[in-house]
This record gives sequence, C-alpha cells and structure tokens, in this order.
Amino acid sequence: MLEDAKKNFHYKNIDLLKRYITETGKIIPARVSNVTASEQRKLTKAVKIARFLALLPYTDSHR
Amino acid sequence: MNNYELTLILNPDLSSKFDDFQSKFDKILSDIGFGVKRLENIGRRQLAYSILNHNKGHYAIYQLEGPAEGALELETKLKYDTSVIRHLLLKVDTLSLEDSLLMIESQEAKKAPAEEIKVTPPKAKVVVTPKSDETSAEEPKITESE
Repeated sequence: MLEDAKKNFHYKNIDLLKRYITETGKIIPARVSNVTASEQRKLTKAVKIARFLALLPYTDSHR
Repeated sequence: MNNYELTLILNPDLSSKFDDFQSKFDKILSDIGFGVKRLENIGRRQLAYSILNHNKGHYAIYQLEGPAEGALELETKLKYDTSVIRHLLLKVDTLSLEDSLLMIESQEAKKAPAEEIKVTPPKAKVVVTPKSDETSAEEPKITESE
C-alpha cells in the first residue's frame, strides 16, 4: 500500500500511524496494507500506546 | 540504572502553572534517584477522546534515568497526583535526545496557520467563452445552457 523506505512505527509518529488505521479507528490488517509481519507487530504496539495517550482514538464514537 | 520515557498528560487548566509543577516534580524525581536527561514540554493538545471530562491535555515527555525500584515509587506518586490526568512510564533501551515528532508538530502548529492560507492558490480558472463577461469563473456553463 505504502512504500516508505523506513517505516518508523513509533507512538509519537501519529501522522504515519493514522495511515494504518481505518476511519473507525481500527488497525488495518497486514494482509490489506502489505506491511511485513515484524512491522505489523511494531505498528500494533505503537497504535495501542498512542490510543492510551489519547493521540489516536479507540473508536469514532467516543462520547 | 535503567532508561525510562515518561509521558504525562496534565490537567489543561494548570497549563500556565507548568513551571510550578515542574519544580515540584523535579524534586520528587531526585528524591527517588531519578535524573532528568531531557524534558519536552509539548504544551496543550487536543485529546482524541475526553479523559475525566477534559478535551485538551498538556503533554510533557521526560527522558529519565534511574533505578528500577524508583520506577515503582514514581508510578504510585503519579497515580495519586490529581494534576496528572494520564501517565505512561516506558522502559526504553536508548533515550531519544532529539526533538520528538510530537514536539516538532506542536512547534509547526504555532507557525503554520499563517502559512497554510498562503499555500492554497485560486484554482478556479475555467475560461470557456470570451463572451460571458459578467459571470465569475464557475458560472460560464450555466450561461451557455440558457
């Protein structure tokens, strides 16, 4: 899907992470985004930390 | 000694009193044997969802070095600190001593508003017929059909 030479999946890199979550806030599966397995593991970790810190939403229907 | 990265979300109402908090917090850190290697005061930011009825939060990221026992103590201290609405203490291999992307983003956000307006050029340049004088660029099609 995206061909960044280096994918810096870090919880502070919100702009990059945003491209790998759906509109509803779900993490896009690796089979769809063609992210490698090891990158996908880093991605999920980063997204979950970013969610906890209210940098990314858990869902699109937060009260 | 371990390296830690501590992200704090502070009550946005206390944003202006960050210096007070900082001096108080520095004392807590030194009491438990933690050294501050870097502090990034990111400032107020929109939260992706409300935490304790706050829609904004004051972010600060500490790069710390200290003993593991101190980390537990720090966790309990932060838990009962009412000015901290959320915190995350991560053990890291290496401390990042450069500006984080959040910091860069917040710095750009301060400059950006004026620049972004300049960037958008007027794209509506649709010249169809030289006859339609009084109409603006988007309207010529309508006048033709009439």
